[in-house]
Amino acid sequence: MKKTLILSTAALMASTALASAQGVVNLYNWGNYTSPELLERFTAETGIQVTVTDFDSNDTALARIRQGGHGFDIVVPSNTYIETWVSEGLMQPLDPAIVTDRGNIAPQWVDVDFDPGREYTVPWAWGTTGIIVNSAVYDGNPHDAGVVFNPPEELRGRINVIPEMSDVMALAIYYAGGDSTCTDDMGVLRQVRDMLMAAKPQWLALDYGTVDSYAAGDLSAGIYWNGASMRARLQNDDLVYGYPETGYPIWMDNAGVLSDAQNPENAMRFINFILQPENAALISNFARYANGITGSEEFMDEVMREAPEIVVPEHLVAAGRFGQACSQEINDIQTQIWTELLQ
Amino acid sequence: MLDRNFSVRRLPGFGAIAVFTFVMLYLPIVILVAFSFNEGVSQSSWDGFSLQWYEAAFQNRQVRDVSIRSLWLALVASGFATVLATLAALGTTRVSRFPGQTMIYALINQPLMVPEIVTGVALLIFVAAIKVQTGYTGMGYLVAAHTAFCIPFAYLPIRARLETMDSTLESAAADLYANHWQAFRYITLPLLVPGILAGFMLGFVISLDTVVITEFVKSAGQDTLPTYMLGQLRRTVTPEMNAIATLFLALSLCIVTAFFLITRKRGA
Repeated sequence: MKKTLILSTAALMASTALASAQGVVNLYNWGNYTSPELLERFTAETGIQVTVTDFDSNDTALARIRQGGHGFDIVVPSNTYIETWVSEGLMQPLDPAIVTDRGNIAPQWVDVDFDPGREYTVPWAWGTTGIIVNSAVYDGNPHDAGVVFNPPEELRGRINVIPEMSDVMALAIYYAGGDSTCTDDMGVLRQVRDMLMAAKPQWLALDYGTVDSYAAGDLSAGIYWNGASMRARLQNDDLVYGYPETGYPIWMDNAGVLSDAQNPENAMRFINFILQPENAALISNFARYANGITGSEEFMDEVMREAPEIVVPEHLVAAGRFGQACSQEINDIQTQIWTELLQ
Repeated sequence: MLDRNFSVRRLPGFGAIAVFTFVMLYLPIVILVAFSFNEGVSQSSWDGFSLQWYEAAFQNRQVRDVSIRSLWLALVASGFATVLATLAALGTTRVSRFPGQTMIYALINQPLMVPEIVTGVALLIFVAAIKVQTGYTGMGYLVAAHTAFCIPFAYLPIRARLETMDSTLESAAADLYANHWQAFRYITLPLLVPGILAGFMLGFVISLDTVVITEFVKSAGQDTLPTYMLGQLRRTVTPEMNAIATLFLALSLCIVTAFFLITRKRGA
């Protein structure tokens, strides 16, 4: 018994050590975010095996990679972290000889401020934070953050706000006339504070998992993510998702190749693979978020292809803005407002 | 005379506090288990009984992989830990007292006292340096890390067993011309088996449960069940997670029950 255990231990250790030698690529991604079908197709096409390992936060991923010796090839951080990854030299530029299809990236996602010209990363998935409204209760314009910040009579006491500082502050700053989530305009910040404090008594809760409450009609409006709003709408047709005209935050997770990747060539091939519309669609079908690749829509599941939570109305596209990582000083001010709000 | 009648059970609020404590301990778990059998995707509204989430969990290849890896790791790590803990227990009880004995006792039990996150971060830095130097990224690191913190959990029941065992039996064996090895092999070891088994099971459960240290030490493709579950949290949590957690819970309960039965036999 003991002998077999020792033998199997040795065999397992050897196999994992050898596996990094050839024909593999190690993907370090958010949990429950990678379509198994995508990996099967990649392996069928290239013969390269993909190993997926999960992380649970941008900070965990960054800490692990900074230490080195991690054995990963590709990582998928959020937009606010990309500049840190690149400036610390943790990511290598994409190899134009292998990553030939960057032209497939939808034009609005090419010159993004966190990676101008897409030298280091390609889109994995993206989404928005906006307003969810039950149209049976309130039939006004849903593309209005005032639904939450200055609620109409019929919605008062039936509003939920997700307890995410960056999302709520961004919507509030845009609504108050600020032009950036990191604005240092004290007038705007003061206005944001007053507005939030005045609105809070009209809210029912500051909670996360509320898909069921919206579907059941216990909540009639709120600040919510597009993916969760879609799931709520699929349970209750009256729910609509709004993109505030004054501005709404966009997030995007992006795949890049690590500087100390063991299999850089395989990694580049994987990056180019997910730039193909039919493959990017697999990411979306699994994760239920848009992917940022032109032409992928036609390969998506029907529920997603025309979902109003995924397809942004033309006239509201420009109102969407990427969140930024703010300076410590601005961050402190926002945290103060946020702490006061939560009390 | 008042003292004789004193009983904590008669203090005001004793019943209420006891009930509250048990509710807080078990209600969330009961709810988690109940919703693993839910027919819908909801964690809060009941749509009918179904085993579909268990089916989904069994068909999820990643879940299968991480479960097998978790069990394998727990088995190997607690196996190593038990051997080392047995030797340590013999070395600290079956010898005449020596200076520094208490110190050694404290050193062995370090993982019980140092917060897991501290060990995790320390291991991250230490292990990463070795990985860079050697290029080896296999399961060895996880086995070593898990073995290290499983040792005290295996050590405590084995040592307890040794301390309560009648050492005259060993003296009797020596009187009958058994050498040290024979006395150990035919007297000490058989008597020690319940303690060793209990230590092994405790180590096994602890290794199975550990998330923080694994999260920091794991290399590519080395997710265990707990780190896999942690990774799910950013996305929607479906009752599939409840189903996996329930299976996990059932396994832990079986082992703890076995532990209980073994240690009870020892007392009898």
